[in-house]
Amino acid sequence: MDFPILTLITFVPLLGSLIVLCMPKEKERLIKQFSIAVSFIPLILSILLWVNLEKGGGIQFEELVAWIPAIHVNYHVGADGLSVPLIFLTALLTTLSLFYSSFTIKNRVKEFFFLFLLLEMGMFGVFVSLDFVLFYVFWEIGLVPMYFLIGVWGGPRREYAAIKFFIYTLVGSVAMLLAIIGIYLNTGTFDIIQAAAMRPFVENFTLGALAFWAIFLAFAIKVPMFPFHTWLPDAHVEAPTAGSVILAGILLKLGCYGFFRILLPMFPEQFHRFAPIIAVLAVISIVYGAMVSMAQWDLKKLIAYSSVSHMGYVMLGLAAAAFAIGSKDMLTSQAIAMNGAVFQMFNHGIITGALFFLVGVIYERAHTRDLTAFGGLASKVPYYYGIMLVAGLASLGLPGLAGFWGEFFVFRGTFAIAPVYAAVGAIGIVFTAAYILWKVIQHVFLGPFNEKWANLTDMETYEKITLWPLVIFMVLFGLYPPLIVDTINAAMTRLLSGL
Amino acid sequence: MTELYDWVRLIPLFPFLAFAIILLFTQRNQKLSTYLAWVGIGLSWLLGWTIVFRAIGDAHVLEEGFRAPIFSIPTGRGLLQLGFQVDALTTAMLFMVPFVCLMIFIYSKGYMHGDPRYSRFFAYISLFATGMLGLIVSDNLLLLYIFWEVMGLCSYLLIGFWYEKPSAMKAGLKAFITTRIGDVIMFLGMLLLYSTTGTLSFHEIFSEETLHFLKETTVWLPLVGTVSVAPVIAVLLFGGAVGKSAQFPLHVWLPDAMEGPTPVSALIHAATMVSAGVYLVARMFPIFALLPETASMSVVAFIGGFTALFAATIALAQDDIKRVLAYSTISQLGYMIAALGVGAYVAATFHLITHAFFKALLFLGSGSVIHGAGTQDMMEMGGLRKKMPITFWTFAAGMLALAGVPPFAGFWSKDEILAHAFEEFMHKGVVSWPFFVWLVLSLGALLTAFYMARQVFLTFYGETRSHHVHAHESPKVMTYPLIALAVFAVFLGFVGVPEEFPVLGPLFGHNLFHHIVGHGYPATPLNWGVMGLSVLLALTGLFLGWLVYGRNPLKEGQPDPMTKLGPVYTLLRNKYYIDEFYSKFIVRPAVALATLLFRFDNSWVIDPFVNLVGKVGAWLSDLGRIFDLNIIDGIVNGVAAVTAWFGKILRLTQTGKAQNYLLVAILTVLLLLGLYLYLPM
Amino acid sequence: MVPLSWFLILGAALFCIGVYGVLSRRNAIGILMGVELILNAVNINLIAFWRYRTPDQLTGLVFAVFVMAIAAAEAAVGLALIIAIYRTRNTVIVEDVDLLKM
Repeated sequence: MDFPILTLITFVPLLGSLIVLCMPKEKERLIKQFSIAVSFIPLILSILLWVNLEKGGGIQFEELVAWIPAIHVNYHVGADGLSVPLIFLTALLTTLSLFYSSFTIKNRVKEFFFLFLLLEMGMFGVFVSLDFVLFYVFWEIGLVPMYFLIGVWGGPRREYAAIKFFIYTLVGSVAMLLAIIGIYLNTGTFDIIQAAAMRPFVENFTLGALAFWAIFLAFAIKVPMFPFHTWLPDAHVEAPTAGSVILAGILLKLGCYGFFRILLPMFPEQFHRFAPIIAVLAVISIVYGAMVSMAQWDLKKLIAYSSVSHMGYVMLGLAAAAFAIGSKDMLTSQAIAMNGAVFQMFNHGIITGALFFLVGVIYERAHTRDLTAFGGLASKVPYYYGIMLVAGLASLGLPGLAGFWGEFFVFRGTFAIAPVYAAVGAIGIVFTAAYILWKVIQHVFLGPFNEKWANLTDMETYEKITLWPLVIFMVLFGLYPPLIVDTINAAMTRLLSGL
Repeated sequence: MTELYDWVRLIPLFPFLAFAIILLFTQRNQKLSTYLAWVGIGLSWLLGWTIVFRAIGDAHVLEEGFRAPIFSIPTGRGLLQLGFQVDALTTAMLFMVPFVCLMIFIYSKGYMHGDPRYSRFFAYISLFATGMLGLIVSDNLLLLYIFWEVMGLCSYLLIGFWYEKPSAMKAGLKAFITTRIGDVIMFLGMLLLYSTTGTLSFHEIFSEETLHFLKETTVWLPLVGTVSVAPVIAVLLFGGAVGKSAQFPLHVWLPDAMEGPTPVSALIHAATMVSAGVYLVARMFPIFALLPETASMSVVAFIGGFTALFAATIALAQDDIKRVLAYSTISQLGYMIAALGVGAYVAATFHLITHAFFKALLFLGSGSVIHGAGTQDMMEMGGLRKKMPITFWTFAAGMLALAGVPPFAGFWSKDEILAHAFEEFMHKGVVSWPFFVWLVLSLGALLTAFYMARQVFLTFYGETRSHHVHAHESPKVMTYPLIALAVFAVFLGFVGVPEEFPVLGPLFGHNLFHHIVGHGYPATPLNWGVMGLSVLLALTGLFLGWLVYGRNPLKEGQPDPMTKLGPVYTLLRNKYYIDEFYSKFIVRPAVALATLLFRFDNSWVIDPFVNLVGKVGAWLSDLGRIFDLNIIDGIVNGVAAVTAWFGKILRLTQTGKAQNYLLVAILTVLLLLGLYLYLPM
Repeated sequence: MVPLSWFLILGAALFCIGVYGVLSRRNAIGILMGVELILNAVNINLIAFWRYRTPDQLTGLVFAVFVMAIAAAEAAVGLALIIAIYRTRNTVIVEDVDLLKM
């Protein structure tokens, strides 16, 4: 790559959003088409990025320009096997969300698309930043558009949800900011790679632990881990469909990504020490999230809680890998666990993204998400049923679909390191099957037909176009996992061998 | 030579393609969908049998196996290789599975005729066939697990195929969740195996070094302490088999699975899903048998033996023609499991194969009966022998095979199991699992013969007991598969005739089946005593059945003679109330716990805590507001007021005339100039 | 040879006249003319100092040219402003143009 591909990916959406801002707001069609067209650029670039990524090559596509030289802040971006799949996921979900929204968003079109492109920039920025200040700036930039997306286009309790989301995340951010400053004072650099190599607070475990927990809080809230998860059901339920998709698909990944990119390489010692605590929280997230999902009667809330459970797998894999730091022959298991965790992140993005789109599809028609209100829709909307079934099965980890591999690798890696955690976490698998098949599939689609929905129509073309790419990826990665695991594995092996 | 085996990769692919094409493109066209499904399974069958017949004569493949890798997944610095294989056990299964599937596919055309989701049915059963074919050709446990789950999904979809019926819908869910519980246990077993040995490939697991390593390795279990790892793996894997093969205590899903269309029942019970559990145990048998004195074998023997007898007793008191067969299946699977539990690997596999043929036959036969009579209740049937002759004769063949009457297929396989158990029992004495197994299986043989006789007499003899049953023979597309399967039900047993058996032994290739599968296992010697006893038991059972149901066929309105057993009958009829027990003590508490946790999350603790923090924050900020308003703002306003007062005075100097300002400027300059000039430096 | 001080006295006188004009005239055009006088007084000083002190450098001359150019621009802008004010307020008397004092 002899052009600054990462910068382009990150800032093309910003440019697009500024142009949208200058457009007259009556020209809704133009705004929509333009935004979608803009979002295709990073999508294509991210595919290029993935294709050109050298698998075992560590951080690539680096760009380093001084930004605020007085305090050694640089514009430093780069990507590796960890971030490239996530960048691709971001680009894909954003494009699909914009496409879907161009049919469903009716009011304040210009603002919506402006904010959405801005949001995209923030997300890309987090995944490419290799400088703490840059990372933090992008991290915060993403918050604002999301706040408005929930607060303006959301459901009935949107203000509450938006503010809760905002404040909750901000609390974590503040803690992280303090820790970042602490790291800077200790190592003298804001560069993530350099700081990680220097091991901040290596001489003082307690201070390191403090910084560790501060950053942990920021990321754990974003993931979200039990018990920091309650912003999530509210935000997901109130957000507009595309907002929920991005929230679940990408924003949750920001937290996980932070664990991989920052917390683990920077504080391996602390991570190793506290891994049992994190693993316990992860296991609780898995089982508890699944059980709470099972108790839901609101379709969207159910899927929201399922995210808690699924992100628990990511954290379990990570905690297990960290737990084994220092043990000699564990590299394979560690790598498998981490591969599983990253794969699970990606899977969760496409699967839960698809599920939220599907919730939107039914809500657009029925104006309710109450599971008891449906019944027997399978014959009425067979296409919708089929897609929902595939997405649901992928979500419950059916082998042959993408979701399985993430779980399998996480459990495989964890089992070798901490079998009890894996065994308890595996209970979540049964509950996941129960809530997907019993609550979602059975209550909505099976059983006697509820005559109330005699006029329900099946999916429109635009809805099919939105969902097919996601379904294809579920099947593709399910049938041929090396496609993505190759990329992830190289990065994870490198990361682990550096600890 | 090896090129042919490489094609094994295609065996699961054909039905999968059929599945995908039907689902995506040809749903509207029922005829095309049917043919696509037929072509898919037909190609698999042709290819499968070509490979089987090549492999039978190929000692290298039978002993070592042939592996055809597909792809590998990187794991850190290692690789997880996935692929297909052909070996002895695969060969045996590959003989049975595609053929039985093909028969079921053909039969389905007649049975599903006119169903609104006809095409989708063929898509689903094609996927089902993919699952089973993939399962038997997998060369490692992970791939096996994948196909295993695919089958679980298909059983869910197919059992709940008529999902408008709440009972069908619930049965599908029950099947999936119940087997899933077993699967999770199996999953853990797989993880333990993988993390202990670092491989999931059968070839590598069963190599000398790995087995030796497993023998030496121990694992620490909570509550139990340090134990050998092999039995732990075996018992965990067995959990999956218990779920899939519907063994006690996870058997509850299988009778309910009768809600699905009959070809599905045949697929699930005979050729595919339930045998997958037995296949798993057979496949992993070296691990089970690694330390024969530990829990692994006794658990298997106990569960199998117990289930065999337990399910047979329930079958005595069922009125639904398919439910009787369902419990019979559970019972027969118990035979196989128990056989594996006493080390009768070859006998169990043999029974697995023969049972698949005659049980598929019985299920399809019962489907034909249902199709013709329009009811599943045996109490309403009767006298169908005349109206449905082909169905009757083929059904009778299946019944005799199941009852274990010589020379039908079931006799040879069942006898081999009993003989093996007896042999072991002779070795180990009365206080041993083989004795238990031999005892319960012999008892089970008696019960089996009895309930099958009951079924045949109730269904086909006497007069019709309900005026709305107007039976007719099923179409040819349904009866031909019955005939084909019946041929196997009668003759298949000969491939496993003990070598010493006069005339038949040498005639049929000196126990051909053992030659194929039994590499490394000694053949079970012929035992005339056991054989005589088992024949005697089967005939006694049939005779008793005739005595109760055949001599004086039941008339309309007459109660089942079984009701004379009183409370025992009620207990059996209600399946020992196990469903009720599970519902009350497992399902409901789980749901209640989920609701409780949600309240905990949403109304009681976590979210209220978050909201409390929010409220305290709001309260503090309110305090801040007051402070702000009166003090901070007071100061700010005070500064402003002082400034304003000064401004009021100073504005007097602002005349608005530029000349005034200029004058001031010039005067100032002059003043400064004066100061500069006259002040001493 | 005329001594340098004569030129300076001329310049100072011209400056004083200009200042007086600027301060005392009520008519805006008169004020503008006063400003021109001030600028020209400066020019005389610049030329004189150049001639007597640094004849070999062009700085003084160049500055004088600058000042003339600025004076011309200033006059043009100033007159335009005055015309604009006259158009709207119908006066060129500066005391009536006191919008700033509000």
